[in-house]
Amino acid sequence: MINKIWINYKCYIEQEIMSHFNSQDFETIGAIEANNLTKSYHGGIRAVDEMSFTIRKGEIFGMLGPNGAGKTTVIKMIVTLTKATSGALQVFGIDVTRSPETVRGMLGYVPQSISVDTDLTAYENLLIFSKLFNVSKKERDERITSSLEYMGLTERASDLVKHYSGGMMRRLEIAQALVNRPRILLLDEPSIGLDPASKKHVWESIKQLNRDGTTILITTHDMSEADELCGRIAIMSAGKISVMGSPTELKKTVGGDVVTVNLTSAHPIIAIPKEIGSVVHSSEKSIQILAINGEHAVPPIADFFRSHEIKVDSILVNKPNLDDVFMKYAKRRLADEIHTGASQERRNFVRHAR
Amino acid sequence: MNIIQFLYNAITIAEMEARKIRHDTTELWTRLVQPALWLLIFGETFNAMRAMSTGSFSYIQFITPGILAQSVLFIAIFYGITVVWERDVGIITKLLSTPASHVSIVLGKSLAASIRGIFQAMMIFVLALILEVHIRLDPIDIAGVFAVTILFAMCFSSLSMLLASFMKTRDRMMGIGQALTMPLFFASNAIYPISAMPVWLQYISKCNPLSYVVDAMRSMLLSGSYENLPLDILILIASTVVFVSLASVTIKRLLE
Repeated sequence: MINKIWINYKCYIEQEIMSHFNSQDFETIGAIEANNLTKSYHGGIRAVDEMSFTIRKGEIFGMLGPNGAGKTTVIKMIVTLTKATSGALQVFGIDVTRSPETVRGMLGYVPQSISVDTDLTAYENLLIFSKLFNVSKKERDERITSSLEYMGLTERASDLVKHYSGGMMRRLEIAQALVNRPRILLLDEPSIGLDPASKKHVWESIKQLNRDGTTILITTHDMSEADELCGRIAIMSAGKISVMGSPTELKKTVGGDVVTVNLTSAHPIIAIPKEIGSVVHSSEKSIQILAINGEHAVPPIADFFRSHEIKVDSILVNKPNLDDVFMKYAKRRLADEIHTGASQERRNFVRHAR
Repeated sequence: MNIIQFLYNAITIAEMEARKIRHDTTELWTRLVQPALWLLIFGETFNAMRAMSTGSFSYIQFITPGILAQSVLFIAIFYGITVVWERDVGIITKLLSTPASHVSIVLGKSLAASIRGIFQAMMIFVLALILEVHIRLDPIDIAGVFAVTILFAMCFSSLSMLLASFMKTRDRMMGIGQALTMPLFFASNAIYPISAMPVWLQYISKCNPLSYVVDAMRSMLLSGSYENLPLDILILIASTVVFVSLASVTIKRLLE
């Protein structure tokens, strides 16, 4: 029932947006397109530095990066809360500076910190927002009820939000963004401060929304979250995108899988054939082999040792995770920055000392 | 963006405030203490002393409209603090990310301040009746007083929001509120007639918008002579339009 109404609505919105373009344009248009987007603050700090990216319709796109990388600033520019210093930003082909109200009407925004009104009930929070999003009176009640149901808050709908737990507030936050039935949902660190169960619940809802056709942009510095949810991710550092791609692609860039072979007894040096993989580390009873695909490398490795009559105790496959990717692309820059920052500070200190 | 949607959005913002008040009315009652003290202690004492020449009206009659205006002024001038607080808890960010125009949000917030002003006015009416202060209880005059109260609260709360977009913190708004209310209050005709002031203060008080508000309320509650009323209301409407427009441009600064 809920899904059906949802899909009908999507069709309606699709038609409405389509009326702005001819059908060919609409096919090729991205949900969000940024070109050389820059935001600089007083004092010349560039929070976002000439960023270009396209978020495709219907995907879950993740922005990862350390604190201060510019993730929130990008989101704020999309929601038209702050203006870009230069560059272009379009949502479904509509320029954010030219028609901010139209753009905001297509979005659902869940900010980083809890921002539902705790002095109101959950129902009232959704009621006010459905009114501000110009949801017609006819549809309002149905939308509120389905949003609350979707996020599992129906039973507590008439309680004041200040009596809610953190996880419930976060869910309400998403429910509030849903009364608009947004084309794009922007989630700024959606699972920050949540217990594992609530986190799972939020993740499931995000995936379900995506399956129902909502494009989702998510920022996070939780690698497991990005891995679990995102089809594509961009790793940001100092206002730039360091690298962009699917989690699998990115993991490949940090190298292949490491297969560790533990032997039952110490053995002299063994030469492993190149087609299996290359040895990265070996000790008397353990050999680490770097292979492009760990699982596929296990049978030939096992065969190899059997044919040489070497007894194997265990074989482990370690796949690189996004943490490794993050460390490679974000932390390196961070380290450079800290380094130059520190030397600048030292110089200032010396100057003061004189 | 049509006008009906615009007004509807503004009213929705005010509705949000009304719903909050309904859940917790404590603030309304505590706000009654100060005007009650002014009327009960200051008003009664000066009334008994007959130290001030207030024409054909008793002193307590004279200051009732003044205290009404003063207490609404306090609510409105400090409304910026509420907005800064709402910014701190993310509510303003959320509101500004809806398709509602920023003007309608600022207008709605100023209407929210007038909701509090209306409650204040009602309570002062009740207080005046209990103290047996003779005021005109003509329905049209009472409606007029409420209309002026609404406009007045809108005017000064939007000024307060304008200031808040530059001041940005609650502490600074506290300071600026104090710095504004006292001079506005004492350099007005709220608790003494302009004719009783030294000449230099008379000039200041004639530029003071509070004087016009008190004047409008006094004409409706006491004298029943309306010749200054159109001008008073025109000035109020004009400054409300100016402050709401300016604040709606600057309010985004709160988020920076």
